[in-house]
Amino acid sequence: MATENHGTVATTEAPGHEGGGLPQLQFQHWGGQVVWLLLIFAVLYTVLSKGLLPRVSGAIDERGAKIAGDIADARRLKDEAEVQARAAAAEVAEARAKAQKTAADAKAKAAAEASERQAKEEAVLAEKLAAAEASIQAARDEAMSHVRTVAEETAGAIVEKLTGKAASAVELKTALA
Amino acid sequence: MADPMHQFQISKIVELPTVNVLGLPIDLSITNSVAAMLLAATLVVVFYAAAARKAVVPGRLQTVGEMLYGLVDGLAESIIGHEGKKFLPFVFTLFAFVLFMNLQGMFLVFTATSQLAVSLTLGLLVILTVVAVGFAKNGIKFFKLFAPSGVPGWILPLVVLIEIVSFLVRPLTLALRLFGNMVGGHVVLKIFAGFVVALGGLGILGWAGAALALSSVVALTALEFMVAFLQAFVFAVLTCVYLNDVVHLDSH
Repeated sequence: MATENHGTVATTEAPGHEGGGLPQLQFQHWGGQVVWLLLIFAVLYTVLSKGLLPRVSGAIDERGAKIAGDIADARRLKDEAEVQARAAAAEVAEARAKAQKTAADAKAKAAAEASERQAKEEAVLAEKLAAAEASIQAARDEAMSHVRTVAEETAGAIVEKLTGKAASAVELKTALA
Repeated sequence: MADPMHQFQISKIVELPTVNVLGLPIDLSITNSVAAMLLAATLVVVFYAAAARKAVVPGRLQTVGEMLYGLVDGLAESIIGHEGKKFLPFVFTLFAFVLFMNLQGMFLVFTATSQLAVSLTLGLLVILTVVAVGFAKNGIKFFKLFAPSGVPGWILPLVVLIEIVSFLVRPLTLALRLFGNMVGGHVVLKIFAGFVVALGGLGILGWAGAALALSSVVALTALEFMVAFLQAFVFAVLTCVYLNDVVHLDSH
């Protein structure tokens, strides 16, 4: 096609350079433009395809890889954090259970100590009570034995007064028994 | 009013000797068109030299550079598929070069892609690459491109003829689409801008017209920026589509 156009150069070149028609159809200017265009295009293609475009695509790929890597890192860290959070929660639960157990133990021990002390106190009190009862019993017995002596003496005195004669001790005892 | 076609006139900046290739005189002078191409290519290289950084968090320049690269990368990947990576540098060079030439026309006085010689050469470059890839990949089976499978025998000659014609006009349509869009936009811009000056000299009523024309120029300028990008994009898309035809010839 290009040669076809050049072929018409000879025919259209003849009638005036500037006058009338499209300036684009002045074929005497075509050859230079075509040659320069091909030359410039070849150089531009070489520079772009060998030098600049690989750099652009490299930067784009690198960015994509970096973003993907960063997302993977973030995901991994998130998983790690989740595992740690779960471990921490388990630890807290364990600690709470331990604390509750300690508290329950302490309470039970305190209750046991309190009841033991109470029992001891009660025992002491019971002992004292028994002692007191015993002493009361003794005092009463003693008093009762005194009552017999008083009764004998009284009876003797009454008999002496009434009969004028003293009764013997044995007689009094048998009379009062 | 200034001639709206004058902006497309080729003029020499640096005179260089004319060489004869096969009897064709080729003037190697650096013209304004060649200078525009050189500048566009240089800007592409400078831009990507600055944008191709290794920063993980990209700056503005790097973001734009990687966005354009990602755009073409996505195109090649989605149209050609897995093998698109191989053609990415070619498609990207086309896209970036056309885009920078188009955009340069929005800032400077000359648009290289509004030269038919430039857009047609680019179109031929694409189609010759497609043919080369087709032969390299499929050998003589490349001609299967013109005989789609599943066509009844009696209609096949007609289909083959249509396929051949449609293949041959591909470089032309590629070239004319880009050329027409760039020329049309710049001519319309120039004409409306000319209205502003012409009407502005006609007194009060003229000023109203000039204001209207001026607002049109502003709107059209925005539109032209979009067209500049879109045409480069379309060029890259069609290049991918044509390459896909010959890369996946079996499923054609």
